[in-house]
Amino acid sequence: MGSVSLSFDGVRRRFGRVRALEPASGWVLAGETLVVTGANGSGKSTLLRCLAGLLAPDAGTIEHVEDGAALSPAERRARIGFVAPDLAFYDELSAGENLEFFARLRGLPVARAEELLDRVGLPADREAGALSSGMRQRLRWAWALLARPRALLLDEPFQNLDVEGENTVRSLLGEHLASGGLAVLASPVTLEVAGAVSRLDLGR
Amino acid sequence: MPSPASIWVASARAVFTKDWRCELRSRYALNAIALFAVTTLVVTSAALGPAGTNKTLAINVLPAMLWLILLFAAAAGLPRAFVHEEESHTAIALRLAAPPSALFVGKLAFGVSLLLGIEALVAPLYLAVMSLEVASPGQLVIALVAGGYGLAVGSVLIAALASQARGRSTLFSVLAFPVLMPLLLIAIELTRNAVAGDPAGVALPQLLLYDGSVTIAGLMLFPAVWNP
Repeated sequence: MGSVSLSFDGVRRRFGRVRALEPASGWVLAGETLVVTGANGSGKSTLLRCLAGLLAPDAGTIEHVEDGAALSPAERRARIGFVAPDLAFYDELSAGENLEFFARLRGLPVARAEELLDRVGLPADREAGALSSGMRQRLRWAWALLARPRALLLDEPFQNLDVEGENTVRSLLGEHLASGGLAVLASPVTLEVAGAVSRLDLGR
Repeated sequence: MPSPASIWVASARAVFTKDWRCELRSRYALNAIALFAVTTLVVTSAALGPAGTNKTLAINVLPAMLWLILLFAAAAGLPRAFVHEEESHTAIALRLAAPPSALFVGKLAFGVSLLLGIEALVAPLYLAVMSLEVASPGQLVIALVAGGYGLAVGSVLIAALASQARGRSTLFSVLAFPVLMPLLLIAIELTRNAVAGDPAGVALPQLLLYDGSVTIAGLMLFPAVWNP
């Protein structure tokens, strides 16, 4: 895996009159995790969405560099892996069909979807609409890792997981970091993560 | 390694297949469209009877009524193309995974196939219950295909624009009026000529021009609307 870094400076965002994210700055390099903490409503999810290219910040700069090249917002969207509580899949399709669909969208081999479902311990034929909250979270992780992203943006990534599920995804996160990837992890509570960790507290 | 063009084609095809697979399992749009089309057909035939036997009604009124039925049937099902993605939060994953233009084309292909399928059911029924004889059936088929495509591409584009707003259903109706009205007027004219046995005239090139320009506008506008 080549080099990757993600930095942001003075990123802020409003929704109408509501200041969802006060100016936030930070950076994370290959093999490292940035843990973003803060109370509910402090802007953790908004920050991750800005970093993912899903929201345009009102001010501030975001620089996502891979192999020495700065990525545009469209390239960021295509390259990052993203886990969030409101990331949903098609209830009418099975877990396997959902992942296959997204693999085809990205021009990836379907075998990658099968491999990831196996890693997170999900039955491929179970309808997404019939998955428990914990199983949905496992599916989100499998989805996020589909394209072997170098940057993972994880919003409450261990939510609803049982002990085995959390161990599995922590192991996947460890492999991602060991192979030179980076992660930004948002949580309302302080989380312990193995490896090099920096922290950003959004307060409020 | 696959080329960007082949990935784009595979993406558009994946969206089309996914939409049909979800639709065949949920039957939301199919049921809404079929229910609306059948209800309006029954009401129209009960109210007017075999109006096709009256030459004036056959040429001046019935082509317009056919397109009104198709318009409202489309409005009952096609806005769901994007609104459902937003409301069920699957739009997040789509934004991160799909090239916007491939997504638009995949959704458009689904909308066109759905609408042409509905036309294939509704139009013969309508002709039968209204006892409407068509002097140029080939021209009617062209009007239905080109008009149906225009109705689908206009509806999918408006659905994409409206899905980003709060008052989605209201906005769809407001935007649909200026975008779809020219199409309907041209399609009605072409259908009227087909029924009367008159030449297509300028209506056909106008309809094809509409289809092409709204498709190009959709491909250009959609990425800006879909992404922040």
